[in-house]
Amino acid sequence: MKSSILRAGVVALACALGLSACGGGSGDLYLAGVVQNVTKDGLVLQNNGGDDTNVVYPYTSFQFGNRVSTDDQFDIKVKSIPSNARECTVNNGHARANYYTIGQISVTCSIKQHALTANIVGLTTSGLVIINGADRHDVPAGTTTVQMATVNEDGAYGVTVLQQPSGQACTVSGGGGANNGTGTMGATETTTVTITCT
Amino acid sequence: MKFSLARQAFALAITLTLASCGGGGKATFPINVTVSGLQYPGLILSTNGQDLAVNPPATAGQDVTAVFPNQLEYGQTYEVTPKGATIANHVYTDGNQPKHQQCAPTLFPAYGTAGQLAKIDIRYACAILYYELSGTVNGLKGTGLILANGSTAGTIGVNPVLDTNNTPTGAPVAFAMNPVPYNTTYGVTVLTQPTNPSQTCTVTGGGNGTGGGTMDDDAEKAGGVKNLVVTCQ
Repeated sequence: MKSSILRAGVVALACALGLSACGGGSGDLYLAGVVQNVTKDGLVLQNNGGDDTNVVYPYTSFQFGNRVSTDDQFDIKVKSIPSNARECTVNNGHARANYYTIGQISVTCSIKQHALTANIVGLTTSGLVIINGADRHDVPAGTTTVQMATVNEDGAYGVTVLQQPSGQACTVSGGGGANNGTGTMGATETTTVTITCT
Repeated sequence: MKFSLARQAFALAITLTLASCGGGGKATFPINVTVSGLQYPGLILSTNGQDLAVNPPATAGQDVTAVFPNQLEYGQTYEVTPKGATIANHVYTDGNQPKHQQCAPTLFPAYGTAGQLAKIDIRYACAILYYELSGTVNGLKGTGLILANGSTAGTIGVNPVLDTNNTPTGAPVAFAMNPVPYNTTYGVTVLTQPTNPSQTCTVTGGGNGTGGGTMDDDAEKAGGVKNLVVTCQ
């Protein structure tokens, strides 16, 4: 008899503690995760249709304002994406909360890509090599256009001459404000730099 | 009579079962190796006094599988390391790595005891080495200078040196771009010129003298490209 009363008491106490810890809507688990390929403001996430959360600089992670309790259903969706993102997807964003599931959430965006074209003027000899960082292109004599690798919207580019052609000297112009083949890729679809060889 | 026949058949069955278990002598364990990301020759793996040279795959990007010449017996311990590596807490440094790359165990530990697992399957993953790309900015007095390596690996902001009155002195400032992988080109450009006071900065140095080049064998030998000069006027 005594022991059964004691047992009931302990269970009741444990229940009460558990409930108070949960707190009905502001539980003890932070709903958070990492984000990838976000470079500017504009990514807003929602949980269960509310609790809007902005992903802010340095754009590496997010954490919802409201905590959740173990076994609460969470359903994270993308409300809006940054202007330079093509799409953002939530991974493992729909589950019942526990220490495992809340550690598996991430959001991955893909950034809009834009063409970068180099117009070549007056190239009559061989040997010209142009680069945009790690993107390398051999340019044979007589070439008039080189399609460089696409560049992230809002990302930097800087086309330079890695190697001059034999007997000619080439300079790079166009692009962004400095007019020397460098700039930041805008939202317009094509950016052209010009390489003039004399 | 019928029963005794059955008994004999049973005895035969047991004999057959036993033979299939241990009839071939002691169980031995081949040391299988799978290496991913290998691009250059030179990797030699070593364990239990045996060496295994692992060469790049015929088709770039594929995994390489290999087996050490001798098998292990049950209970023998192994630890597959680059040959001659320094071993500290199962972390291997130096040793016979491939050129321009560094390989390390991945997924599973590269050590254990034969028989612990049904199959010994050592996994190594190799990554290309990255080298420093750095230099000095001279004469910088304005703010907002941003350097880029084309569209590769982000941009770097450089601020002028200030004296005790917060006046820019124009003293040289060291800078480092993000490291560059072996055999990859780099071309450092000025993305944003400094303002207040307005200045024009130009890049020299690097492999081609104008801030560009390839992280080639010479650059690798030198530990990277450290001779970039950005001159601001």
